[in-house]
Amino acid sequence: MTTATRTRPAVSRPAAGLLRASIVLLTLATAAIHLTLGGVLFTMNAVGYATLAILMVAPGPIGHFRLFIRLALIGFTTATIGGWLLFGARFPLAYLDKAIEVALVAAVALEVWYLDGGPLGVARRTRSLLTKLLGAAR
Amino acid sequence: MRWSASVAGLVVVALGIVTGCSATGGPPPTAPPGGAVLIANGLAFDRHQVDVPAGKPFPLLFENREIAPHNVAIFAEGSDDALFVGEIFSGSASRMYEVPPLASGTYRFRCDVHPEMSGTLIST
Repeated sequence: MTTATRTRPAVSRPAAGLLRASIVLLTLATAAIHLTLGGVLFTMNAVGYATLAILMVAPGPIGHFRLFIRLALIGFTTATIGGWLLFGARFPLAYLDKAIEVALVAAVALEVWYLDGGPLGVARRTRSLLTKLLGAAR
Repeated sequence: MRWSASVAGLVVVALGIVTGCSATGGPPPTAPPGGAVLIANGLAFDRHQVDVPAGKPFPLLFENREIAPHNVAIFAEGSDDALFVGEIFSGSASRMYEVPPLASGTYRFRCDVHPEMSGTLIST
């Protein structure tokens, strides 16, 4: 009989805290940059980032669904980078912002790997959380 | 309750930054000889039409009066290939663009960061 073990990179608690703090700071940094750009689209983007930054550290029941918030942050950031690649203007502040966003995606992916156990772990936890959510809705 | 208050505070600060960092007034600068002037303020250009001389380079004085970065880029009608792209910069500041000669005709100008900011450039 084989025993399935969940493998996680060895990350200490302070390192995990530092990683989470970095994610929040990077998210707030890109939110601030988008806010300075003006216009409805950039402002909504800034509000989206700020909301996700808050949700990344919000206490209570939200913590149980942090996986979804991490995935949403990766999706939102990737969509923002994609939008810029397709339609965005090229200027120094935009390049700085994209560097921040790439670092943000990498940091969140690292946290997903550490806390959720990589793609298989994400699939497993997503299924478990969705089952829990559906159960609560019934 | 505390969280909703925090979010509401954040939104207020965001709106304050967006609205408070813009819209500085003042008279428009004088157009350079043989050229034109454009002002960006409140996420809009101060005019929808600019007239410039045809067939020779001309100076375009562009003044950005808000923190949001803007520029002026010029396109032929119906084309997305820019004939001239001015430097993007935040305000309050101004740049004197040197635009290469344009054949007589009608062109489009816009801000590359906020493409909804646009107008018509007439070269005669």
